[in-house]
Amino acid sequence: MNDQNNKNIARRDLLKAAAGSFIAWHSPAALSLTDIPSDNLKPKLVWVILRGAMDSLHAILPLSDPSLMEHRKRLVTPVKNSAFDLGDGFALHPAFKELSRLYKEKQLIPVVATESGANSRSHFQAQDMLESGLPEVDTESGWLNRAVEAYRGDSVAVAHTLPIGLRGKHLAKTWYPDLLRPASDDLFQRLKVLYKDDQLLSERLDEGLENRQLLSGMEEVENKYKYNFSSLAASCAVMLADKNGPDCAMLEMNGWDTHQNQLGRLDRKFKQLDQGIAILRENLAEQWDNTVVVVTTEFGRTVAENGTRGTDHGTASAMFITGGAVAGGQVQGRWPGLAEANLYQGRDLMPTSDTRQWIRAILSQHWKLSAAQLDYVFPTIKTMDSQLIRPYSKSNTAT
Amino acid sequence: MTVEKNNRAIIAVNRFGLGATGAELSAAQHDPEQWLLQQLVSPVFDKKLGDTESAFNMIADIKALKQQSRQKSMKLPDIGRTLIRPYRQALIMDSLEQSVQTNTPLAVRLLDFFSNHFSVSVSTQTMTLLAPILEREAIAPNLFGSFANLLIAVEQHPAMLVYLNNEKSVGPNSKAGKRARGLNENLAREILELHTLGVDGGYSLADIRQLAMAISGWSITDEGDAGPSGFKFRDNYHQPGARTILGKVYPDSGEVQGRAVLEDLARHRKTAEYISYKLAQHLIADQPPKKLVSAMVETWVKTEGNIKAVVTTMVKHPESWDSQRNKFKTPREFVLSAYRAVNYPEDVDQGLLNIAMRGLNFMGQKPFASGSPAGYSQLNVAWSGSDALMKRIDWISLLSKKTRETPSNVAARIFDSQLSPLTVKLLAGAESRAQGLAMLLLSPEFQRR
Repeated sequence: MNDQNNKNIARRDLLKAAAGSFIAWHSPAALSLTDIPSDNLKPKLVWVILRGAMDSLHAILPLSDPSLMEHRKRLVTPVKNSAFDLGDGFALHPAFKELSRLYKEKQLIPVVATESGANSRSHFQAQDMLESGLPEVDTESGWLNRAVEAYRGDSVAVAHTLPIGLRGKHLAKTWYPDLLRPASDDLFQRLKVLYKDDQLLSERLDEGLENRQLLSGMEEVENKYKYNFSSLAASCAVMLADKNGPDCAMLEMNGWDTHQNQLGRLDRKFKQLDQGIAILRENLAEQWDNTVVVVTTEFGRTVAENGTRGTDHGTASAMFITGGAVAGGQVQGRWPGLAEANLYQGRDLMPTSDTRQWIRAILSQHWKLSAAQLDYVFPTIKTMDSQLIRPYSKSNTAT
Repeated sequence: MTVEKNNRAIIAVNRFGLGATGAELSAAQHDPEQWLLQQLVSPVFDKKLGDTESAFNMIADIKALKQQSRQKSMKLPDIGRTLIRPYRQALIMDSLEQSVQTNTPLAVRLLDFFSNHFSVSVSTQTMTLLAPILEREAIAPNLFGSFANLLIAVEQHPAMLVYLNNEKSVGPNSKAGKRARGLNENLAREILELHTLGVDGGYSLADIRQLAMAISGWSITDEGDAGPSGFKFRDNYHQPGARTILGKVYPDSGEVQGRAVLEDLARHRKTAEYISYKLAQHLIADQPPKKLVSAMVETWVKTEGNIKAVVTTMVKHPESWDSQRNKFKTPREFVLSAYRAVNYPEDVDQGLLNIAMRGLNFMGQKPFASGSPAGYSQLNVAWSGSDALMKRIDWISLLSKKTRETPSNVAARIFDSQLSPLTVKLLAGAESRAQGLAMLLLSPEFQRR
C-alpha cells in the first residue's frame, strides 16, 4: 500500500466533498496549500485522557435545563453564578479560565453527551474501549497507534508505561521526567552490544537514547512547573514543537473518580487541567496554530448527587476539542435533556454521540486520513459530519 | 536466543521467588518444588510500627491539631512532613526490608500479588496512614487460608472502607437514610468487578445496587466509640430488608447479610476463574497455559477457594516450569531482585534500602500509589517501554556504584553462572567492577524471569 498516494487521494476527496460548503476551499490560494506543510509546521495532535470519569455535568453546566436543579442542586448552586456562559443554555465551570478564553477566540468546541462505546460503568473496561477503539477490545492495539501508523508519523506517550491507546505495530515512545542522574554514555554503548540479540531490549534502548537526546536541555522547563500535570504538559509541548519532534502525544491525568466531596476536588482538577492546556499553548508557541488537543474521559457520572456529596459511575459524558487549528466557538452534540424520562436507565445522561466519531472526524480533517485509513483506525465507527478543523491554518497562509 | 539448561532451581528462585540472595540457590537445588511448597506460611509483621489503632489515633490527633490552629488562628505545623510521611515511610521500609531478608520469597510474592489485587492508594492524609496497614493486618494473616476469609477481612478493613467510600454509605430506608445522606456503590462495584467475579463475571447493575445495600452500615469507629478502633457495623446506616444478588435471596441479618454474600462470591466459579488466571498471569506468563489455569480453577472449586491448595497446584504443574523466561520483571520485582543479588539478607544495608525505595518511585511503582483500585499492571508491555528501560539503567548505574560485589561472584550466586556467551564475554570486558555489575543486572537474563 502506498501511503503517500493515499494521502493525496484523501486530500482530493476532501476538496471535492468540501466544494460548495466552504468558500475557502474554492480559492486558488487554498488549493495551493494542499501541499505537504513545511517541515516544522506539521499538524499536531494531543490526546489528553482523563482517567476516572469526569463529571461532565459539572464541567459544562446545562444551566437552562429545567431538571438540573432537581438532580444536583447542592453541586450546581455554588458555581452557577460565576460560570462562563457558552450560549445555548450551557456554561463552563468557573475554574476553566483558559478554556473560556479559547472559546471566545473560537478555538474550543465543548461536545456534550458523548460516550466511548463501552456499555458498562467499569472504568477499566470503558477506558480500554476508548483507547483501543475496536469493536472487541484489543489491549495490544490502540486507535492512536493505528492512526499514527497510517499517517506514518511519530508519537510519544507522556507516561511511565505505554498506555493501551498507543500500543500496537507502530513503535511509540514513552517519556516521563527523570529524577536520577543519567547513566554514563559508556554504559549505554556497552548495553547496545549486550542487547544485540534481544530485539525488544535493543529497540527500547535505541528509542530511549534518541528521546533523551531530544530532551536534553529540558531541565529548565521541568523546574519551572515541578512534577504535576502542567510540567508534563510543558514537556509534551516542547517535544511536539521540536522540528524533529513527534506528530502526536498522549497525556494522562488521573483522579477524576469523584464519589465523594466533589465540589472542592473538581475545582482543583479543573484548574489543573485548564492550566495544563494554557501551558501547552504557551510552549507550543507557533505550533499551537497547527495543533488539535482532544480531551476525553471514559464515561460520565450519575445525574443525581449521591449520598456522599459526590457522584457515581454514569454513562454519557463530554469532551473538549481545542487548539489553534480548531474551528470552535460553539457547543456541539445533541442535548438529550435531564428530565426523568430522558435519562439512560433512569439515572444517567443519555449518550447522543460517540467520542470516537468526533475523533474520526478530526483524523479525517486534520491529518487527512483516507476513508480506508479511517476504517483501519475505527472499523465500526462513522465519521461525525461536522467541520471541526479550520479549512487551513493561519500559519499555512503565512508561508 | 540464549541456550540454557532447564535448571529448575534457577526457575524456582527467579520466577516464583524474588531472585536469589546469599546461599538461596543452593538451598533450592536439592528439591526446587519442595523448597517452594514449604514457603507457604504467612509473613508476620511488627504491629508496633503501625496498625489500625495507631493510625486512628494519629487521625484524631491531626483533627485536634487542625481545630486548635483554627480556633487560636495559629499556623498549623507541617503535619505531612513531621507526622504522616515518617509513619508511612517506616511501614514501606519495613515491608521492603522483610522482602529482601525473607526466607519465604514465594509468600512475599503472593502477598504483593494480593496487595495489588486489593489495591488501595494514598489519596488523602487519612488514606496515607491507612493504606500501608491493609496488607499487614488483613492480607498477610489470611494469605494461605480460604479466599472468603481474606475477602471479608479486606472489605471490612478501614483502609478499604475509606478508600472506596463505604464508611459513609447509608441505605435510603435506614434510620440515618431519612436524613440527607445516601448510598455509595463504589465498594460494591469494585468487589464484583475487581475483587471477585471480574468484569465479565455476569453480574448486573441491579446486583451492584443490591450488594451496596447489603454492605451499607459497614463502617468504621468514631472517636467517641468505646473499644478498639477499626471496623464498625452501624445498624442505623444499614438498608433494611432481604437482598437478591446473582439470583439468590439473602434475608436481612444485619452485618451477616453482607458476609454471606461475600462468602458465596469467594466460592463462585467465576471468581475461581478470574483469580486463578490472574495469579498464573502474574507468576508464569502473560498468556498463562490453559491447562495450568484450569487445574488451578478445579482446585479452587474443590477446596472452596483454599489459596494454599491453589498455589500448590500451580507450583506442582509441569507447565509452570517452562524453560523460557516469559515474564519481564515489574519494577518491584526488578528492584527487590537487584537488591537481593548484591546484598546478603543477614546484613541489611539501610543506604541501599533507601536507594531501593527511590527506585520504586522512580520507575513508577511507588507503593500504595497506583491511583486506581485496579492496582498496577502485571503485563510485560506495561513495564518494558523505552522510558522504563532508561530508568532501570539509570537506577542500576547508581546501585552498582554503591556496592563492592564482584560481578562473577554475583553471577555464580544468582544464575549458577549460566549466562549467554555474549553476556559472559561482555561482563569480562567491563571497565570496572561497578560497570560489570550494572551490566549483569541489566542483562536480558536478569530483566526477565
